[in-house]
Amino acid sequence: MTRKKRPDIAAALQQAGGLREGASRQVAKDSGVPEAHVYGVGSFFHLLAEPDVELRVCTGLTCQLAGADALLVAARAQGIEAVGCSCLAACDAPVPLLRGREVLPAMTLDDVRGVALEALRSPAGEHWQRAVGPELELDASASRLLHAPSYEGASFAKARALGPQGVIDLIARSGLQGRGGAGFPAGIKWRSVAAQAEMQRYVVLNADEGEPGTFKDREVMLRRPDAVLEGLAIAALTVGAKEVYLYLRGEFDRPWRAMSDAIAEFERRGTFGEIAFHMHAGHGAYICGEETALIEALEGKRGMPRIKPPYPTEKGLWGKPTLVHNVETIGCVPAILERGAEWFEALGRTGAGTKLYCVSGHVVRPGTYELPLGATLDELVEAAGGYTVGLKAFSPGGASSGFLPAAERGRPLDFKALAEVGSMLGSAGVVVLGEGVDMAWAARQQLLFFEEESCGQCAPCRIGTRFVRERLDAYIAARDGGDAAAMASALSQVADVAWEMDEGSICGLGMTAPLPLTSAMRHFPSDFPGSSTGDFPGSAKLG
Amino acid sequence: MTEVKPATIVLDGQEVAIEEGETLLELAARRGVEIPTLCHDPRLVPAGACRTCLVEIEGWRRLAPSCTTVAADGMVVRSANERIERHRKTLMALYLTDHPAPGEIAPHIVDGSEVHRMAVECGAPDDWPRMAPIRVGREDHNAFIQFEPERCILCARCVRYCAEVEAVSAITLADRGSRTTIATADDLSLMEASCELCGGCIDVCPTDALTEKLALALPAPIPDKLERVRTTCNYCGVGCQMDLEVEREANEGRGRVRRVLSPPAGTTTNDGNLCVKGRFAYQFIEHEDRLTKPMVRREDGLLHETSWAEALETAARGLLGVKARHGSDALGFVSSSRCTGEENYLMQKLARAAFGTNNCHQCAAT
Repeated sequence: MTRKKRPDIAAALQQAGGLREGASRQVAKDSGVPEAHVYGVGSFFHLLAEPDVELRVCTGLTCQLAGADALLVAARAQGIEAVGCSCLAACDAPVPLLRGREVLPAMTLDDVRGVALEALRSPAGEHWQRAVGPELELDASASRLLHAPSYEGASFAKARALGPQGVIDLIARSGLQGRGGAGFPAGIKWRSVAAQAEMQRYVVLNADEGEPGTFKDREVMLRRPDAVLEGLAIAALTVGAKEVYLYLRGEFDRPWRAMSDAIAEFERRGTFGEIAFHMHAGHGAYICGEETALIEALEGKRGMPRIKPPYPTEKGLWGKPTLVHNVETIGCVPAILERGAEWFEALGRTGAGTKLYCVSGHVVRPGTYELPLGATLDELVEAAGGYTVGLKAFSPGGASSGFLPAAERGRPLDFKALAEVGSMLGSAGVVVLGEGVDMAWAARQQLLFFEEESCGQCAPCRIGTRFVRERLDAYIAARDGGDAAAMASALSQVADVAWEMDEGSICGLGMTAPLPLTSAMRHFPSDFPGSSTGDFPGSAKLG
Repeated sequence: MTEVKPATIVLDGQEVAIEEGETLLELAARRGVEIPTLCHDPRLVPAGACRTCLVEIEGWRRLAPSCTTVAADGMVVRSANERIERHRKTLMALYLTDHPAPGEIAPHIVDGSEVHRMAVECGAPDDWPRMAPIRVGREDHNAFIQFEPERCILCARCVRYCAEVEAVSAITLADRGSRTTIATADDLSLMEASCELCGGCIDVCPTDALTEKLALALPAPIPDKLERVRTTCNYCGVGCQMDLEVEREANEGRGRVRRVLSPPAGTTTNDGNLCVKGRFAYQFIEHEDRLTKPMVRREDGLLHETSWAEALETAARGLLGVKARHGSDALGFVSSSRCTGEENYLMQKLARAAFGTNNCHQCAAT
């Protein structure tokens, strides 16, 4: 049974200037979707739900370190309708602002103060990526994802010659793991989609990069849109899909242009035959980076994650088998076809391949650096020019990975070694926090993010994200006011709630949302004086 | 031919044969194993959102919602153990932090909130700090359906019922995160939305977030003086079953219907569904204009109470008089949409056989 496809009502709302009064009714008339459902979709996505906002200031942890709050105050002071927003994937150029859907990176107080909205100019100009790669040569040691594009389609031709089984075996042998966060083996995914009885299949690109501290996919799309598209075409060819959907977050105006230009170039050349690419813009919702939420959004609905199983490989887009991959993961595919599984596997140290690590915070040259999978924090920061102050803590894989203490600076940044200490590689968005950062403050920034970005569907996450943040607020207020009794009690439910959010939430957002606080409490007890974690029997979360 | 072994699962240590396609929740219910639910309704596609029905399946890393998980051969399932108990306790404690306390519920509401009952049942701590209400409501001048967003737990039964059962889709989940609420487009009144005021949303709501406005205007009831009386809706011939919530001693002993309630889904032909007339248009019962005895209009132009014999005699005489003076086709017979098919049949029989005219109509036939 084929589900009836809903038109892209979010795009229609964007056309209508956002969720203004009457817009839902108009879009409902044009699309046939009930107006309440149109409204439900519009109100879910911040870029649609707040049509009068003129300027958004990134309030990710890295940008908070760089003084985002002051920029917000300055913008408001000159009458600009400005609000804070979740990470804009430009932590290498803090503080980015979003005017409409245009990202203005590296803005400082001087760039904002006294400047009218239309006159805001980024000091970074059009090509604003400042640091990429450890001055890597165009040699065999790299995936070349950060280098010059090529539209030859040689790897695609090779995949055609190898046949689906050959390609799947090659991908499996290469050891390629998903680079969006979960680290799931790509070969297993491809094999699973290819083995489905249903013949209508889809390939989806997850370019909804929004994990705070992460900006590598942006860079890959800007530099190697050809590799991403070729990887997608190879995947489509291999799993038997004719339609490829690219979901880019709504704040990715430049990557959007790069990808659509590259699609046009390949179409002009006719490189990929009948495979059709469809681009879909997000509208401001981190949760759509969760693959089933992304699929819901592609289907024109609120981006609420589905219950799994079934996984998208079995029932994905419009209920059909769907291969969903992160930008970096799929970008590795052409090189694997070109140079072989063994070459790719050998690139890594503790896992297969090189890895694009994003590093920001207290380092000299924040940026995207390609290193062997399993490099350590010290190696990464060395590539980035060193620490600006003494290391206190770091977040190895975005907000969802919590915090680790400086003592872990020699631990391989890979899927396994980080899981061993209750953290994760995630999206490899490394945020470095120097001495002097209050970890209660840092945890609060991350909790605010999760509270803002929870989809609200399931109770543990919807209630838990807010409850934990409010408890931390109560603790900080008590600590700053010297109220010992309140300090002792403020956080006493946190361990239980964190346990429940992990056990009871539908998706990874809720499961990991309390981790910034619980890991900070565990590793930095001196920033939480006089607190009690209140572990009742069986509460192992805080270790 | 080898005999095919029937598919089974092990539920709490007992082997149970699977009925094709059934969920773990359905299977457990069939076996008399009670699993708590808040967002479940047998008429709706399971959502797995409230998380109260999670069970443990051997080999699965995570607890699974029993409402969405289809039983598969060989599954070993536990509906209760220490882990599940801890999960339920903590989950319900969380619900309580985002829900008004039992004492804050209006005395008009006799059903209370399922959240409170479930929290007590599983022994959830109720001393966690409560959070200030965050969900915003709207002013709504509709006459029947009251919505109090701070009492809502976002199970979305109302939203899904409105879309899946009524095919009306007047309401939606709106906003997101902790501010998620139930809304119409642009927060319009239900009167301006596609809402048909069937009130099914009130029926499916497990809390007191959605309630009957008509009952809120009455004096608070004494809970143990309330009775439920099963009856058949007489607004049309479908025969929907409904339960009147009655206070026999109210109205100086004449009694009062407080609300019309749905029988549980799956127990009646109407599957618990009612329309706006059945659920809300019951004030005629006590209305002063309601005719409860046969009446006849006498020479003074006023209606006077009489016997059935005289009333029927008077009507027959009048009708036959018209026929005699003007012919059969001067008469017309209009029956009510409240009549059954049989009654409508009798009405046309009366028109044709007794009075000789085909002028017969039924008000719902247009």
